[in-house]
Amino acid sequence: MDEGNHELIRRLYDAVLDMDEDGVTALSRSILAEGIDPGSAVKHGLMPAMEKVGELYAADIYYVSELLLAADALHAGLAILAPHISGRPEEAKRRLIIGTVEGDVHDVGKNLVKVMFEARGWSVHDLGKDVAAEAFVEEQARIQADIIALSALMTTTMLAMPKTIRAIRAEHPKVAVMVGGAPLTREIALSYGADGYARNAGEAIAEAKALLVSHNNLMKE
Amino acid sequence: MRNMTDRERIEALISRRKPDRVPVWPGPCNGFAVTYNNLPLAAAYTDPEATYRSLRKTCFDFGWLFLPWMAYASMGAWEFGGEVRMPSGEFDQAPVIIRHPVEEEEDVYNLKWPGPESGFYPTARKFAELARRERLDNEPWNSVISSGSAYGLACQLVGLEKFLKWLVRKPDVAHFLIRELSEWSLSSLEQKKERLGIEGVLAMVGLPLASNQLIPPHRFEEFVLPDLKEGQARLRALGYRTTFAHICGEQNKNLPLLAGVDFGDPGIISIGPEIGLETAARYFPHHIICGNLDPALIQTGTPERVYEATKSIVERGKRLEGGFIFAPGCELPPRAPLENVRAMTKAVGDVGSYE
Repeated sequence: MDEGNHELIRRLYDAVLDMDEDGVTALSRSILAEGIDPGSAVKHGLMPAMEKVGELYAADIYYVSELLLAADALHAGLAILAPHISGRPEEAKRRLIIGTVEGDVHDVGKNLVKVMFEARGWSVHDLGKDVAAEAFVEEQARIQADIIALSALMTTTMLAMPKTIRAIRAEHPKVAVMVGGAPLTREIALSYGADGYARNAGEAIAEAKALLVSHNNLMKE
Repeated sequence: MRNMTDRERIEALISRRKPDRVPVWPGPCNGFAVTYNNLPLAAAYTDPEATYRSLRKTCFDFGWLFLPWMAYASMGAWEFGGEVRMPSGEFDQAPVIIRHPVEEEEDVYNLKWPGPESGFYPTARKFAELARRERLDNEPWNSVISSGSAYGLACQLVGLEKFLKWLVRKPDVAHFLIRELSEWSLSSLEQKKERLGIEGVLAMVGLPLASNQLIPPHRFEEFVLPDLKEGQARLRALGYRTTFAHICGEQNKNLPLLAGVDFGDPGIISIGPEIGLETAARYFPHHIICGNLDPALIQTGTPERVYEATKSIVERGKRLEGGFIFAPGCELPPRAPLENVRAMTKAVGDVGSYE
């Protein structure tokens, strides 16, 4: 049978949408116990559900609270299912490094962006908050991400962005860097040397996709 | 018209008369003031004497309204038993919470109200005593009392992300905590009145964590509005005529609800660049509107752009029936380029006259 249509996977989808972390945990265990392919459960249950949550958030039907709770449900499911996925095509996944810049401890916005990328199947490497420029540089050397995303909420901490971008560029000139956060605009982002800017979590994915296309074209030239 | 003093200017606005010119309030600017006076930024949160002297000198140098107030946005967590870290790094802006006093649900039910020596209170008190002692006759205020938002305080105590989840998953716990904090805040108002009186005291409430970037209007109505209304009603009952209400960030969808809050007669409605001056005036036609130059522009723009943006705001603000105070839309960035701050101030001077 087409496992994507399995009842348990449909319920897994619904549980994420309902922000039901306990339900997702129980269903994920049942999926393993029933011998259903965990990769299929992630692909047809968890990920599309989270993508739907992102759409509901963009449409002002879900809000930050719902997004955070749905993300908890997603992570609960991934923690159980992911270790059992054989031959995970990690290398085929897009990779994102994300963090708030040095001095900034406000990470709700960063966490929302992180969830959006996870929902689209990206491999997200979250460096957390108050991250020094060197940490981004080192992580990029380690994982060779497609995009590095920087977040700042304050007019003071956003001043760490140009320094961070310069440090990244010095070691990794090919990686695309995008930025976001309340005080930023596209104009400020570009003046800081960023390749892209997203006004909110909902716009981040579209910006990343556009960035990959333009950046890859640029690299070919 | 002769030049008014700051006090006369504010008194004119509150009496719904036109002042000689638009007053300039630089927003919360202790961080800018200490760095302008070549002190480390941390002094704005640790050294009341240096902060007071810096603020007074800075306001004098630029011709700004002097509103003595020593506080920071995430106040509450330290006072209720958590921990904060003072700014020390190259890009730090203000104290940050490193441990929240409410980590688990049961902590809500064991919360102890802070005493007068808790956290930041002794520092703020020293600053306030200095300000009261040295008030000049031409200054409108010598003290600020925070009339708080119990919802905002709850976010600081629990941590924003966790509390936003509680609003959906544990609304009863969230309501209980907000109720507790509201009672504490209301009882503090009585004590503050006993200590400070009414004359020269400005009540202030800030709502940064109630923005629509974080919560939708229906949650604002459920979790923010009741306590806000009660706090403002208590202030009016105690005799405080005016509240300075900082409606921080994107709150356009909250405005219809906020319009029903009694912020005074008149109140001062402070808005960020996310809300239009005319929009604010439509919801608060009888209040003084205060705002709303984008702090990010002050930080990153050219002097010419800062000048033009300020000029545009002041020209529009002067047309508002309820009166207008020019200010940045939020805190004046501590490391704002001096030439931009001068351009902002000059623009108000150039076009701010009512004659």
